[in-house]
Amino acid sequence: MKVQHYLGGIENLGPVSVEKRVFVEPWEAQLFAVHTTMMGTGIWAWPDLRVLAESMNPLDYFKYRYYIKWLGGMCKFLISRNYISEKELEAKTKYYLENPEAAQPNAGNNDVTERVIEYFYTGANPYRDVAVNPIFKVGDTVRVKDMPPAVHTRLPGYLRNRTGVVETVYKGAYLYADNVPTDGICTAQPVYLVKFKTRDLWDDIPDKGDVLYNDCFEVYLEAA
Amino acid sequence: MSDDHEHEHHHHLRESETYYAARTKALESLFREKGLIGTDTVDRVINFFEHEMGPFNGAKVVAKAWTDPAFKARLLADANKAIAELGMRDGIEGENLKVVENVPGTHNVVCCTLCSCWPWPLLGLPPYWFKDPVFRARVVREPRGVLSDFGVTLPDESKIEIWDSSAQVRYFVIPERPTGTEGWTEEKLAALVSTEAMQGLGLATA
Repeated sequence: MKVQHYLGGIENLGPVSVEKRVFVEPWEAQLFAVHTTMMGTGIWAWPDLRVLAESMNPLDYFKYRYYIKWLGGMCKFLISRNYISEKELEAKTKYYLENPEAAQPNAGNNDVTERVIEYFYTGANPYRDVAVNPIFKVGDTVRVKDMPPAVHTRLPGYLRNRTGVVETVYKGAYLYADNVPTDGICTAQPVYLVKFKTRDLWDDIPDKGDVLYNDCFEVYLEAA
Repeated sequence: MSDDHEHEHHHHLRESETYYAARTKALESLFREKGLIGTDTVDRVINFFEHEMGPFNGAKVVAKAWTDPAFKARLLADANKAIAELGMRDGIEGENLKVVENVPGTHNVVCCTLCSCWPWPLLGLPPYWFKDPVFRARVVREPRGVLSDFGVTLPDESKIEIWDSSAQVRYFVIPERPTGTEGWTEEKLAALVSTEAMQGLGLATA
């Protein structure tokens, strides 16, 4: 079991941060740009990054700032896939620590730039125009399965074993990923918008009539 | 220095902003040397999210929806199609957009408890608060407490609809139009709309 899969509903955490900036240090923007380059040139995709975030020590996951976690995850991935070596990364890091003003190499492939920008506009739609026969229809009561623990999931932990009503059956099928281990979402399948009463999720909260919506992959649902 | 001290020193160094900055610079430099990135890629990407894909897009959509009910209806029915009418392109993290509307009595709040799913074509990149594990943990169970941390108090009778994004859809909120803005231009209205308001963690005020 991974805490990262069960964040929703954890109590006693104190006030939320209302930091409205996207980047709080200049290196974060630079790192983000390297990440989008990796996305736009097919070196990796979101599921790779999420697998790494979910495999972290959960206390570290709470402790470190968002892009500090990304930096660790990106380096780990790139070394494990032999895009870079640990030795050269350590040597270069040491060099820039000792020479913070030193210029970066005037080399590279500028064709990559427009490819990355174009990728921002084309995206990577998980929609698959394949024939599917959805098991559930609008208005059906469904229960979220208690899926076995997985390396990676898109099922929020607090919804397990809870019952909701199908609000929308999305047209066609959606493929989450096919390159990382998941709990059943590596094949294209129907996705449903399911509506839950939040009092059905936590029976000790005040009854304000609030509802919560979540998009559930079909494999996560059973008839209730 | 004992081994322990050396270890501690090393550990400290590796947790400083100076270290993160040097490591990131090293990473980009290796990418340059290996031809995996251009010399201008980083600047171009940063510029893109400052000028082309950012919350100014969402604010424009909200202002249009406030002033044109027929457009708002089309936006609620098919957001990707409707934003194209404004000459806006969708794309990454927005291939399947869904717009919901705050009305008296119903307030929408968007979150992503598993990571940081966010409608990039309309809002650019997610701010720190949205990615914070504490926000993600609390917002689904105690949305009013979280709203209060943001300085937002809803009327007692308001119901909250929470949208926890975890699959293909990225959600976007049209905040309630502030009173006293009748006859305002779309440009003037757009300036009232914050990123937070477009995810339900703020209100538009005149």
